[in-house]
Amino acid sequence: MTLSRDQSLLPVPARVRGVRELSADTTLYLLSMEGGEGERFDFTPGQFVQLSVPAGGEAPVSLAGPPRGDGCLELCVRRVGHVTGMLHRILPGGRVGVRGPLGNGFPLNEWTGRNILLIAGGLGIAPLRSLLYALLMRRGEFGEITLMYGAREPAAILFKEELADLSSRRDMHLFLTVDFATEEAPGGLTCNTGLLPTLLRGVNFGTADTVAALCGPPPLYRCVVAELQGAGIPAERIYLSLERRMKCGVGLCCHCAVGDLFCCSDGPVFRYSDLQGVSGAL
Amino acid sequence: MARNFLGHESLAPFVEILAGRGELHGPVLTDDGVMTFGPVRAAAELQLGYRRTLIPPKKFLLHPCEPILTYAPDTGYRLPDSPVPEIILFGLHPCDLQGIAYLDRVFLGDIPDPLYRARRSALTLVGLSCEPDEFCFCGDLAEGESSACDLFMRQVAGGFELEGMTPQGTALLEMVAPYLTEGDSPPPPSRTCALADTIRQAAARGERFGESPLWGEFAGRCLSCGACSLCCPTCYCFDIRENGSLDGESATRLREWDNCLFRAHGEVAGGGNFRKSRVERFHYRYQHKYLGFGPTRGVVSCVGCGRCREVCPVGIDLLELFKEGDDDAQP
Repeated sequence: MTLSRDQSLLPVPARVRGVRELSADTTLYLLSMEGGEGERFDFTPGQFVQLSVPAGGEAPVSLAGPPRGDGCLELCVRRVGHVTGMLHRILPGGRVGVRGPLGNGFPLNEWTGRNILLIAGGLGIAPLRSLLYALLMRRGEFGEITLMYGAREPAAILFKEELADLSSRRDMHLFLTVDFATEEAPGGLTCNTGLLPTLLRGVNFGTADTVAALCGPPPLYRCVVAELQGAGIPAERIYLSLERRMKCGVGLCCHCAVGDLFCCSDGPVFRYSDLQGVSGAL
Repeated sequence: MARNFLGHESLAPFVEILAGRGELHGPVLTDDGVMTFGPVRAAAELQLGYRRTLIPPKKFLLHPCEPILTYAPDTGYRLPDSPVPEIILFGLHPCDLQGIAYLDRVFLGDIPDPLYRARRSALTLVGLSCEPDEFCFCGDLAEGESSACDLFMRQVAGGFELEGMTPQGTALLEMVAPYLTEGDSPPPPSRTCALADTIRQAAARGERFGESPLWGEFAGRCLSCGACSLCCPTCYCFDIRENGSLDGESATRLREWDNCLFRAHGEVAGGGNFRKSRVERFHYRYQHKYLGFGPTRGVVSCVGCGRCREVCPVGIDLLELFKEGDDDAQP
């Protein structure tokens, strides 16, 4: 979808249709666009929206749901600041505003025939959940699909029920890990203890013809990328979704530059080969 | 020979003609002695020999702080409908014209900014030639005098030579025709500046001066006051803030000049910061100014006006980087 002119400033009204608590501080919101905008709302996994919370402000949030094209969008939001704090007080039926979809998204069409390895750390599961469902909707076009997801502790694992369902699927592999476990893993889930790079070392994901997509905090990128390259995945097949505080979302305000690229309009998904040598990228 | 000479004695009627077409602003001195682009009431107020204003003309296109959206429960989000006045901006030097040409490139690009576009189309620009001082170095950086302006006035002995650059400028020339006589001034000498050349060459090869000890020195001295960006004709970074009303339900969304040397510029949710150190912030500024981001990649946005060098309270001058490179090149 191309951005209509006014959307560079003006949000489209949307309503909160559903609220699902995922952890103590993170909630999944199901939104529907109002005024006929819904039918036009289509996106690629990895894209984001600028979410306006009435009288609160605007924050960039990645799209976490499958690209169903039905005008509903899912946003997975952690309560971490002013805008997200106000969002967490909104009840179903409440009004918000949406600008987007913005950014580039993952180039799924370039991945057909390849094995896909998704690596998510913490809240980084949000865009990769969208990506995973998009891949599964077109399951026949890809090779092996593997999701590795690391969280701080068992209670911080998001989408537990969905993960339990995914773990029983035969057409994909799921590996979970937590940094430290003081409690049992939630029902139905097999969970390792340790960091993602360690988990990666123990798994045979078939590096030939594999594409890796990563989303997580910067320290995750630094160690996982090295692991992946060590395992033989070339830099141009490693995709990272970067976080910056995009203010305008359309390449004007200059808060989100990564080297000479804008995270909002050239990204937020970058090939690692485009970030090598860019200081401050990761 | 063209009839394009306006004698000094005809400036007053010319200024009146301009004032009849909208709000006239030009270089004037404020009561507290600051050179500024401000409202012109009489031709005598115009500071024709001015060096530079403190704040560049970007303030007419991007207000320092302006509402971009309002929200109320009953109306939802709305764009502000404040009227856009016709403004005639008189006496812009080539560097400031070049600055506006650069902003046009950014804000009238693929996704034109509605506020900028409205103001830009209501703006008539009258350029004025200048004499360089010890701070400015535009040379070829301000590419010719014609960029972006509607009418250009070259200061010559006894008056000005006028040249219309756009249909709007030509229309102005026609209006002022009764006051014009035949000019016979020699063509202006071409102005070159070695530093401008050095900058262009360095930018073309993507020079980052990564090893230069100057970065640490700059960062050690910088007060993060932001004066260099405030007064830069091409610095346009902006922040977006929500200004909630006391009722807790309605709000105004504001766009405000921001500054890449401020710590908050690289912050993300949760307090992480991608440009924690001042050195990183200087690199960011350099990248934007000389190498460009996104659609302005490869465009040098420094126009050589000299403002940042003049206003920095601790004498930081990014140009030292280029001079250093030059010294190395000479045995």
